[in-house]
Amino acid sequence: MKNVSRIAKLYALTMPLLAASVYGQKWTTPTPEELSMTSIPEVPGAAAVYLNKEQATDDGLHKYDFYVRLKVLNEKGLDYANVELPFVGGMGGYNIDAVAGRTVHPDGSIVEFKDKPYEKLVVKSAGFQYKAKVFTLPAVTVGSIIEYRYILRMDDNYFMSPDWNIQSELYTRKAHYMWRPTNALLQNEDGSQSSQSVAWTPILPAGDKIVEKPLYTSATTSSNAPNKQLDLDVHDVPPIPKEEFMPPIGSISYRVLFYYTDVKSAKEFWAQEGKRWSKARDKFVGPNNGVKQFVAGAVSPTDTQDQKARKLYAAVEQMENTEFTRERSTREDKAGGLKQISNTDDILARKRGNGDQLAELFVAMCRAAGLKAYVMGVADRSERIFVPEYLSLRQIDDYIAIVNIDGKEVFFDPGQRFCEPEHLAWKHTLIGGLRQIDGGTTIVGTPSTPYKDEHIDRTAMLTLDEHGLATGTATLAYTGDAALRWRQEGLKGDDTSLNEDLKANLEHMLPGGMEVRVTSVDHLAEFDKPLAIHYEVKGPIGSSTGKRLLVTANLFETNEKPKFPEPKREVAVDMRYPSITSDAVRIKYPEGLVVESAPPDSKISYPNSAAFNTSSKTAPGSITLYRNFINGRTLYLEKDYADLRGFYGKVETKDQETLVLTRAVPGTTPAAPTAEAPTASAPVATTTKPSGN
Amino acid sequence: MLRSTPWSPRFTAFSQRLANASTCFGLGLLLISAVPSFASKDTVPDWVRAAASQPSGSYPPSTNAVVLLDDTHLTVNPDGTAVEHGRRVIKILRPAGREQGIVQVWFDKDTKILALHVWSIGPDGHEYAVKDNEIVEVGADGDGGILYADERAKMANPPGRDPGGIVAYEYEQRAPYYQHEANFFFQDGTPRLKQSFTIDLPPNYSYVSTWAHHEPVKAIDLEHQHYRWDFDQTPAVDLEHVPMAPDMAALSGRLTVHYGPAGDPTMGTWQGVGELYDKLAHDRMAATPDIAAKAAELTAGKTDFYDKTEAIAEFVQKQIRYFVIEKGIGGLQPHPAADIFHNRYGDCKDKSTLLSAMLSTVGIHSAIVLVDSERGFVDPNAPSMMGNHAIAAVRIPDGYESPRLRSVVKTKEGHRYLIVDPTWDKTAFGQIEHNLQGGYAVLVEGKESEIVEIPVLAPDLNTIRRSAELELEADGSLKGNIVEKRFGDVSEYRRSLYTHSDMKEQTAFLNRVLSRDLTSFAATDVKVENIAAFNKDLTTSYLLSVNDYARSMGALLMVRPRVLGSEEIQTDRKLRLVPFDLEQTMQEKDDYSIKLPEGYALDEIPDPVKLDLGFASYESSTKLEGNSLHYTRTFTVREVSLPANRSSDLQRLADTIAADEQNRAVLKKK
Repeated sequence: MKNVSRIAKLYALTMPLLAASVYGQKWTTPTPEELSMTSIPEVPGAAAVYLNKEQATDDGLHKYDFYVRLKVLNEKGLDYANVELPFVGGMGGYNIDAVAGRTVHPDGSIVEFKDKPYEKLVVKSAGFQYKAKVFTLPAVTVGSIIEYRYILRMDDNYFMSPDWNIQSELYTRKAHYMWRPTNALLQNEDGSQSSQSVAWTPILPAGDKIVEKPLYTSATTSSNAPNKQLDLDVHDVPPIPKEEFMPPIGSISYRVLFYYTDVKSAKEFWAQEGKRWSKARDKFVGPNNGVKQFVAGAVSPTDTQDQKARKLYAAVEQMENTEFTRERSTREDKAGGLKQISNTDDILARKRGNGDQLAELFVAMCRAAGLKAYVMGVADRSERIFVPEYLSLRQIDDYIAIVNIDGKEVFFDPGQRFCEPEHLAWKHTLIGGLRQIDGGTTIVGTPSTPYKDEHIDRTAMLTLDEHGLATGTATLAYTGDAALRWRQEGLKGDDTSLNEDLKANLEHMLPGGMEVRVTSVDHLAEFDKPLAIHYEVKGPIGSSTGKRLLVTANLFETNEKPKFPEPKREVAVDMRYPSITSDAVRIKYPEGLVVESAPPDSKISYPNSAAFNTSSKTAPGSITLYRNFINGRTLYLEKDYADLRGFYGKVETKDQETLVLTRAVPGTTPAAPTAEAPTASAPVATTTKPSGN
Repeated sequence: MLRSTPWSPRFTAFSQRLANASTCFGLGLLLISAVPSFASKDTVPDWVRAAASQPSGSYPPSTNAVVLLDDTHLTVNPDGTAVEHGRRVIKILRPAGREQGIVQVWFDKDTKILALHVWSIGPDGHEYAVKDNEIVEVGADGDGGILYADERAKMANPPGRDPGGIVAYEYEQRAPYYQHEANFFFQDGTPRLKQSFTIDLPPNYSYVSTWAHHEPVKAIDLEHQHYRWDFDQTPAVDLEHVPMAPDMAALSGRLTVHYGPAGDPTMGTWQGVGELYDKLAHDRMAATPDIAAKAAELTAGKTDFYDKTEAIAEFVQKQIRYFVIEKGIGGLQPHPAADIFHNRYGDCKDKSTLLSAMLSTVGIHSAIVLVDSERGFVDPNAPSMMGNHAIAAVRIPDGYESPRLRSVVKTKEGHRYLIVDPTWDKTAFGQIEHNLQGGYAVLVEGKESEIVEIPVLAPDLNTIRRSAELELEADGSLKGNIVEKRFGDVSEYRRSLYTHSDMKEQTAFLNRVLSRDLTSFAATDVKVENIAAFNKDLTTSYLLSVNDYARSMGALLMVRPRVLGSEEIQTDRKLRLVPFDLEQTMQEKDDYSIKLPEGYALDEIPDPVKLDLGFASYESSTKLEGNSLHYTRTFTVREVSLPANRSSDLQRLADTIAADEQNRAVLKKK
């Protein structure tokens, strides 16, 4: 969804008042402690630290004042001496002005910035120019304090509510933010009226709050002059955490987001905006005659509601999703005899659309078939977290569909090509959004996917020679998101590129030096069936010690590295989606070799969250090794980390066990294998077994 | 993407070379009769239709697109200025080829685009002419330390950019006034059906052509100072999924045409290239009193050539920040040394310029050296100014000898120079980074300019030494001290890590490295020494404890004697057509002692390994010494590249290392 501009700009109905800046030009005298500082205890080894940051917005003057004072602590910190300040030229844009700066050396000596910033083009098209002012502070070394300030100026009559992004990649000792909002009656760029009021969403460290105070104006000042001031002082703000498997917390780092708005509460905002949003969706969805005619031919009156929904979903999934190909220009549509897109009939006529348009088309078809169907706008969980208190539709990335089937609401993801019916792509699960309901909208969360719907089955049938060289076949079968990922990968390229990627995928799992060839791919486009990739494999899977052949027991986990090597964790772990992985590897070994030792059966569990088991089964001349792994949860909180890490540690250790084959001495009885047959009490519902001999 | 190369080589280091298109030479207005005129904007011109209608040939299924036509025409005016006219037609074959249908023509203030027209034909046969207001302008993206560059591109996203579709464009562009060579890149990762490069020279001008990575092609004399080179069915250099491949630009054919007033014997020679650059750079090396004072301060008390040079070189290397500010000729010409010294920043040519200025004040002569960061790009048989990096060569006094002089070249005149790169911020003085070793470079020394080969350094100047004293418990756990010493380029990443990252990132890195060989482990008491002392070993030591290191299998305990250090070589067992880039010479030595637990006896031990293939060698042994397993290995790489026909040897080396690294000793309960 790209229908919401990033920066809301409004302009006043009356001329603003010009007033003096509250932020005069001044530099800060460094303290002896700041001059001699080489590190900060809060972030050992930090590249730099913000000693001060200030941002002051005065609507009366249509400007933002910025001030930065930063201590460089190591070589990486030198990068902060290069500053790039983007701006948008043209009517309603803004400019960067009054850049000043200096470098203070650890001995207190000062080098002033005397150059002018360079103006750099980022992109220019008809009627739009995106540029940046760039400059570098002079003579900066490790230990320098760099200081600079600049002003962002808006055009007259234009206003832009500030965002205070308090948390950054660096530790901040002190920061001050200020806004004097206009008292003028504002109008949105689209002509709709906004208000004289402001609202904000604070995500702040405990104890920090915005202070609001009145501004007293003289009788000669305009009635539109700011009449209040908002201030925020923060100190000792830690950097934004950076860890593997993080939820998208970048969107909820410490910040305050402001808006010019009339609404008095989030509830009121979403009710008001939701109504407008829903009306626009309904206008696009219809259904109109084209969709109605299509549906009449696509479903039968005798179909159940579920059958109707599935048939229509399949029809939409057959269409080209331009997010995986290319959006056509208006000129191309015109050349093809197609009129401008104004509703779902136009999408149907094209047999193509972007993800949102296809989701809306599916809703239209369902409605035409007599089903209750709704559009829901969701955030993309790979990018952000939906925050209802943040009063902005910008949080909505994609549309999904909700269909009432026999009294039960079922979620569909038609905008994700090849997504299974009644299944959401993981990035659309467990995330908030705005949905249509009868007579309005409401904010809801999307459901998770049960782990049983997310299956990875890996099997191999290998014949080993006496040197440890294996030849045979392997099959990887996927349902759910793993299948979706590969199917969509195929859409981005073609068979050649997909096969190359599938080959590399298995190569990365298997012991180094194994040759892999994709022999066939089943059900690539049949999204309601498991995707299966068949391979031929050949290569060493063991090492020889003279008497013995040591074989990697879990072939598919050979190259897996510890998932959580760090002993401590700052934020929750996001596993994206629950899943189950079942492995079965049958190894036929040559005469003269016997199993001396097989990995013992095992069960490891993390109550109510994850489970793991292994087993093996021997037969004359062969052994089959089984492994099942379930991750039943998506999110693990910080407090769960030690348990989670401990569980994975045990699993990873188990995965590295070895099957020991011994060269039998003629005339002797080989030692009995230590492995027992697989037990029926495996903690998973399904266990994959290789077929054939 | 369809893109034209920036006119100038840009000696800024790290800057991206746009190697997949030909240069943009154009057509002068003085030779109208030879000028193909632009077609009407609203229809696809006949030449596009003609190119599109020819059989496009058959290619491997991995081919994304094919260039059907690439005509470049350079017209040189009597005053030496020149204009280029170009026509390109490309056919998209696969979905991944859509990107190659995006048109880009690069320019800066000295290479203004005079005209650009773009057309396309969709797979359904519809024809389109891209309107002027659909062409956007984008600035250089700022990667590689570019703070500001005036380089920008006109870009178009033509309709019909789908498999089976055709994209074509035609442009006219000024050639840079300061450059008298044209480079035509006639080969890259896309096959090309028909290409030609034409040059129109004014009277009394002559030309010299040189050929990189390709046999010379004879020019067709069109009479009256017009010359053309034709290329039919040029195959692609396909490096997709080729492990250890050299850079595309090191393999692709390139024509350079030097032009100028007739009678210049240095035209098209390395001497000529060096002299031309000397004119741009020489005056910029002038030292100021401030510069002299700083050089004197740095060398105070030092009398030895090496010591004085090292002090100044390390100042430029460490105290002058690297980044790029360039406009037009600024991609080629350094800033004045005085400005660089005052601001304490500059790019590679600036740093080399300041180094030369400072050295000159203490009586040491040096010169700029033009190179390319991709080994093999500079072809010694093809004089040209093309390259992307500048370093320095410091003249070694006659008779001066020192074992500390490592990266040394000798000129035809018998002068010795120490090669120094003040831009590579973690390379020890006296050495040169591995990607330049074995490559060629232009020594800019006025009339004595020449091509030199950067020496390949000995493996013992780029080393990893790991040692450990460890103790194994009966439950499989392992504990002990690890010491790892790194010297040379193999220490570069870690030196950067310890100067550019916070403690958390440093810890995460160590854990990530250890997790390549271990599963459940902890590294504590980590100490790192000599981070900024590049001529000393970067030494990392820590206490390692590993759970379940040895795997208990019944009465057996399986122990991997190689505790740390995975040296996987990526090979693919396919027919090899291009040389292997071995990256760097190096030597890795491991020495691990593992005390065995009570109650266990050694049942089996891996066989020793010894393999010497000339370009590399590998040997390891595991011995029982007292109650300890003692594992040693030495892996040496002696060359930086290997011919394709040594593929089986490399595979053998890879297999040997992979097998040895997985070998286990077997302990048995007594």
